[in-house]
Amino acid sequence: MSYGTGTRNRRPNYAQLHARPLPLITTPLPAFIPHNPLSLIRILHALLLPYIAPPPSHPAPRYQAYFSPATRSVHVTDPAAVRALWESGFFGKGSLSRSEPTWLEGEKRRRGLGAEVTSEEVTAKRRRERVEFKRERARLEREAVEEQLRKEKIAANGGAVDELVEKVAALEVTEVNGSAQAGESPETVEDPVEVVVEASDLKAEAAADPETAPAPSVQDVDIHLVNQEHLQLSLEEAFFLTYALGVLDVQLPSSSSPTLPTNASYLHLFRTHSRFPPSATLTPTDPFLLRYAVYHHFRALGWVVRDGVKFASDFLLYERGPVFKHAAFAVMVLPSFTHEYWFEDPLGVKERRRVEGERGGRDWVWLHCVNRVQTAVVKTLVIAYVDVPPPGEEVDDVGDVLGRYKVREFCLSRWSPNRNRG
Amino acid sequence: MADITVAEPFPIFAVANKYILYDINTVTYIRRVHHICGVLIGNIPQAAQQNVFSGIPLELIPEEARLLVERGSAYIVDDVASHRRGLTDLSAAERIAFVSVLEKQGLEAALAQKRKADKKREKHFEKAGGKARKRGPDREDTELESASASYAVSRAASVVPNDSDVQPLCITPTTSYPPLSAPKPTTALLPPASPSYDLFAHLHSKDYFLSPGLRFGCQYLAYPGDPLRFHSHFLANGVAWDQEISLLNIVAGGRLGTGVKKGYLVGGKDDSRDEVRVFCFEWAAM
Repeated sequence: MSYGTGTRNRRPNYAQLHARPLPLITTPLPAFIPHNPLSLIRILHALLLPYIAPPPSHPAPRYQAYFSPATRSVHVTDPAAVRALWESGFFGKGSLSRSEPTWLEGEKRRRGLGAEVTSEEVTAKRRRERVEFKRERARLEREAVEEQLRKEKIAANGGAVDELVEKVAALEVTEVNGSAQAGESPETVEDPVEVVVEASDLKAEAAADPETAPAPSVQDVDIHLVNQEHLQLSLEEAFFLTYALGVLDVQLPSSSSPTLPTNASYLHLFRTHSRFPPSATLTPTDPFLLRYAVYHHFRALGWVVRDGVKFASDFLLYERGPVFKHAAFAVMVLPSFTHEYWFEDPLGVKERRRVEGERGGRDWVWLHCVNRVQTAVVKTLVIAYVDVPPPGEEVDDVGDVLGRYKVREFCLSRWSPNRNRG
Repeated sequence: MADITVAEPFPIFAVANKYILYDINTVTYIRRVHHICGVLIGNIPQAAQQNVFSGIPLELIPEEARLLVERGSAYIVDDVASHRRGLTDLSAAERIAFVSVLEKQGLEAALAQKRKADKKREKHFEKAGGKARKRGPDREDTELESASASYAVSRAASVVPNDSDVQPLCITPTTSYPPLSAPKPTTALLPPASPSYDLFAHLHSKDYFLSPGLRFGCQYLAYPGDPLRFHSHFLANGVAWDQEISLLNIVAGGRLGTGVKKGYLVGGKDDSRDEVRVFCFEWAAM
């Protein structure tokens, strides 16, 4: 394996690339400078401009996406929209990548077209090195043990060993003499074989390792690679972009009217598909509503919220974005039934029991398990309790529906007496 | 330890839905013969942090108790009820015998106490006498010495316990059996079978030692041998055959298990085929 070829791969300027925290355009007021009266004019201009020619706050054509019922996600295929949604706000994930849609770059690199190193490759390299390191360490440990055993054996045998060594030496001498008598020295027999073996090993290694393999010439490669990757938005992300920001149009895969008329109909669609199999009977405990309430809550507080299934949680909270820092918090969404309806109405009690039994119940064993997992990856577990309102009449105003939900945050960390002894 | 045997079936005492063993012989016996360890819960109140050194009683989880009962090695005794019944059902002769046993114990304790006090006093006078002797051959002192020595001798003579005037202490019995007669073996009481009992019994039948696994976020920790000799191999969780398993739980279990070099194991009983099947997860990307 080759380390450090000299030209260091410069990381892109993430601060510039991800300057906008959301895919919206803001025009801040110019600064007022007291000793420069002309700055007042600039401020006036900025204040009056929206009345004359309002500057755009949203992308001119809204980003287009289509809903995929099979994967319960929303797909964005337009490369410009994909970049915009990823760079400002870290929405979605590449369908063929770990998070940032980098499949095309990786594919180009694989074919020797010299694109930038993707984060997946960095991870793969680190893992290879770690495996190598562990193997080496195990080898050294094994050798140390063998050495120790040998020493102990010698110590146990005492003086008898010296005789043994002498005998072995004498035996070797006679053997060498024997082969020499046959006409050939052992060195001349073994050497060519070894050289051949080494050469073939080198070839095999070169073929196996893509980094050292000779890159195919550009003529061999079809340069017109088709990008087979799309950006996958979760239902919460899609609804946030549609309803809260208004920058996304979600199209239905096969219907006479490609887009839905109102936000309420989007909400209905996503609530229907948040269960499996999709059911049209909606309840206040729909997983989509619970998750969206938490998603919106943390997005509104300025966090970058991403799905946390890889860390066994519902959401991960990043401070500015995944490229800047590791996630500090992992959020678990738990429904909380504080309204009396859930304890007095027989239907409410039944529904509450069903929801509480979902996911195999939330018992102490589960909490310990999740908490330990988060401790192992140095994250703090946040339990987001969502107060579920009793079912009311269906209204068209999405804000009215969501306004009935309340989110309470609850931080947990594993307490071990050994580490917390004062 | 190896030759300790306990007559089977032995009683397991149920107190407030806990299954408890008080006899140290039974504790070592079931660990050796039945591969059941339980959890020692007897703490020293002043040093509650020393949970490494907990002693008897031993608490069994319901699965362990049920397994022992199903094997016919043990039976469950409702401790409170049987104690009460044992006291009320005593005949007059038994009652007198019981009281006399208590009195005898109280008398023994009082005597022991008295002897101890006497010994202490005697020691004290010996010491005082020795000091007086050291002060030199003064005549008055020698007189004093002889006086004190004679006093010590006279005290020593009176130390011989005069048992008749000792008041017996009031004893609160610490064990019920004896003096009460042990309850009869019954099969009426059986600890309730939790949904994961099938998995527990299955793993136990494969010679695994199982212990409660709350600190690892699972139901049972499965050890290949005695937990004092081996690390556990599996974090076991029992599920019903058709129960839906959340993906998040598998991710969490897989990550946790692989992180501590154990396998995350999920198992359940297929009622139609009457067999327990187990599956093991490993988190590959770590």
